[in-house]
Amino acid sequence: MRVTQFMLANNMLRNLSNSYERLGKYQEQLVTGKKISRPSDDPVVAMKGIAYREDLARVKQYQRNIGEVHNWIDSADDALDKAGLALQRVQELVVQASTDTATPEDRKKIADEIEQIQKHIVDVANTKVGGKYIFNGADTKNPLFIGYPGEMGFAVNGNQSDVEIEVFDGIKLDVNIDGKTLFTGIIGMLDNLKTVLNDPNSTGNTISSHLSQVEAQQDALLAARSELGAKQNRVEMMENRLSTQEVIATKLMSNNEDIEYEKTITDLITQESVHRVALSVGARIIQPTLVDFLR
Amino acid sequence: MLSTFHGLEVAKRGMFTQQAALYVTAHNIANANTPGYSRQRVNFVETEPFPPASMNRPQIPGQMGTGVEAGSIQRIRDSFLDYQYRNEASKLGYWSARSEAIAKMEDIMNEPSEFGLSKAMTQFWESLQDLSANPENEGARAVVRQRGVAVAESFNYLYTSLSQIRDDLGQEIKTGLLEVNSILKQISELNDQIKAVEPNGYLPNDLYDKRDALVDELSKYFQVKVETVPSGGNALDIAEGIYEISLVNQDGSTIKIVTKDGYSKLSVDPPVDPVNDPTNPDGYVSKIQIEDALGNITTIRDSEFGNLASGRIKSLIESYGYGSDPNNVKGYYPEMLADLDKMAYSFATMFNAQHREGYDLNNSNGVDFFEMNVSDNTTGKGAAASIKVSDVIMSDLGKIAASSNSGESGNGNNALYLSMIKDVQITNGSAALPSGSGTTVSVPITSGTVQTFYQGLVGKIGVDGQQAERMKTNAETLATSVDNKRQSVSSVSLDEEMTNMIKFQHAYNAAARIITAIDEMLDKIINNMGIAGR
Repeated sequence: MRVTQFMLANNMLRNLSNSYERLGKYQEQLVTGKKISRPSDDPVVAMKGIAYREDLARVKQYQRNIGEVHNWIDSADDALDKAGLALQRVQELVVQASTDTATPEDRKKIADEIEQIQKHIVDVANTKVGGKYIFNGADTKNPLFIGYPGEMGFAVNGNQSDVEIEVFDGIKLDVNIDGKTLFTGIIGMLDNLKTVLNDPNSTGNTISSHLSQVEAQQDALLAARSELGAKQNRVEMMENRLSTQEVIATKLMSNNEDIEYEKTITDLITQESVHRVALSVGARIIQPTLVDFLR
Repeated sequence: MLSTFHGLEVAKRGMFTQQAALYVTAHNIANANTPGYSRQRVNFVETEPFPPASMNRPQIPGQMGTGVEAGSIQRIRDSFLDYQYRNEASKLGYWSARSEAIAKMEDIMNEPSEFGLSKAMTQFWESLQDLSANPENEGARAVVRQRGVAVAESFNYLYTSLSQIRDDLGQEIKTGLLEVNSILKQISELNDQIKAVEPNGYLPNDLYDKRDALVDELSKYFQVKVETVPSGGNALDIAEGIYEISLVNQDGSTIKIVTKDGYSKLSVDPPVDPVNDPTNPDGYVSKIQIEDALGNITTIRDSEFGNLASGRIKSLIESYGYGSDPNNVKGYYPEMLADLDKMAYSFATMFNAQHREGYDLNNSNGVDFFEMNVSDNTTGKGAAASIKVSDVIMSDLGKIAASSNSGESGNGNNALYLSMIKDVQITNGSAALPSGSGTTVSVPITSGTVQTFYQGLVGKIGVDGQQAERMKTNAETLATSVDNKRQSVSSVSLDEEMTNMIKFQHAYNAAARIITAIDEMLDKIINNMGIAGR
């Protein structure tokens, strides 16, 4: 084949530009850390990439949702703890009032304290966390109790719907407890106590017979708290699963689209030397012609 | 008997011819880097020997050579390689236009990335999940609204950007055809000049080169077939004649665009000029019209575009859009735009339906979350361009219907259902809402989910782009290799020209030397003969 300077020069230019293109590709891969920068580089990787990102975003979102679940459960548990302490005090007061040495005046004072405790319980039932009333079912904009018992306009809202938060595809946790049953029970029991204590005819025996009611409410409270505890366990298990899922999703995504640095850098260095060779050979080849040697 | 001066004449002819060859060598060297130039050579021809065979020939030993002349100056070129090159060039034109068009689309879609539509959809989903966990929270509502705006704007952005690229493609069709018409005109003019030169027995090599370079250029736009027609008169056998050029179809049929009588003008109908001509706003090509020199019009209709063999124009039209009805435009960009419309409309329709099932903070049923201007409910045409978050939602965050029950501000179930919309399974163009209320919505997407539909779009662009890129590389390799062969035949080698230069120079010198020898001989006869005894 007849080869001319023109052809050599053209070939050299083309080869150099191919070489630059490959260098550019490796550079892009190294800078972005990704194998592909556009779908046509590898359509399968690109499509899978969209799906894996979606998966990862899901897992991260569910982790955020779980944070919210914790918020609900911890707040409720904390509130119920306070209510429990209050009930303990009530129990002490009832025992104190049930001794026959207590005068009606003493009992009246105890009734006053119980009234204050009742108000405290109402406050606990109206606990507001992050702008939500956590014991009024799904109607979180409104408190469970309006006003205080024995006052004008006292009312119970009492929504009993579950508040559900999604913690995994299709898995929802109801994060609230039935505040209406629990707190109306306690308030009612305290109403009864006040009536008995304010009654001058009450004897020690009649008062101590109410102890069982107090205990019943304490049990109800404990039941609610153990329900919360069980939920807490479920959440923790879910949390563990999600963090495993996160690792898996991240790994899948990385395997799919991330470069292996050692490989790409090696490729780049190889290409670099090829490029140097191309340049030096090109520079040699295109120089001399017969013109240089004719006298 | 030979004339006394016979030798002088032979040597003079030798000098003249070698000189001509040296000048052609100089021309070759001068044009070593001219694109499209083919090296030329002088065809040396022996002159008529003496004596010619005739009745009154002198009785001498014959025939005696009388020297050399430059028979013709011919360019060295292989028309078969031209044919091969042009076939590859038109394929290259086709695939490179296609891969450019798809690359632009990929740039706009920007997937996979942290900034594409899928990211906007994912963030919208996240915000709805947050809302479902905090349905009464104004902050969560505001984020949902903003992310909803981001989704709508992503659709708007994709649609307008793709439309813009498509307009550019339209402009490119227009300028491409202008270029083609100009090439055809130039080829025809060269034909005329060649037709004037050839009958005189000359070879207009430089005109041939220009004409072939133009045909090379033309073959990027269309696949063409070149036939030659002799120009008559005293044209040499090796004269190339007039080029008649035709467009080639896949089925082998052809349409003449340059004949010995003149050239055709190509145009598309309706005219594609979305910027200056608003009569074709949606942009499509229904036919290519070819008006020949006599005013006869040949039409390539939209159904026949696929039959065009290859070339840049075919590819541009396929990307830009074609059809006989503005409402049913085929083509790469129109189909992508239609798919975006389908996706936006399906998503927004299902989302609105689910949103209407829910209850807002004022305990009333939800309104439409998204608003759009759609001219056709079965295709959702116009949805992607016009989708936006409705004014009601924009003016009142409380109108976002997160709750599935009236009066339950802490109920985030509807927000949760809303977050599922993009993954709702669609069968036969109808989708059941995720709330399980039994309501079904008919949407333009026929199967899969909005999410997988979008993944499918991206995958399609990827696969098509990859194919176009691969075909382009193949055509490029073939074209380069054929061009290399062509260069091997036609390009100027400086070494060769130098060698020739030496060759011709020496021959010239030698001829001059012969004149000197004859001069000395004649000197002997004239000055030194007949002077014996002086």
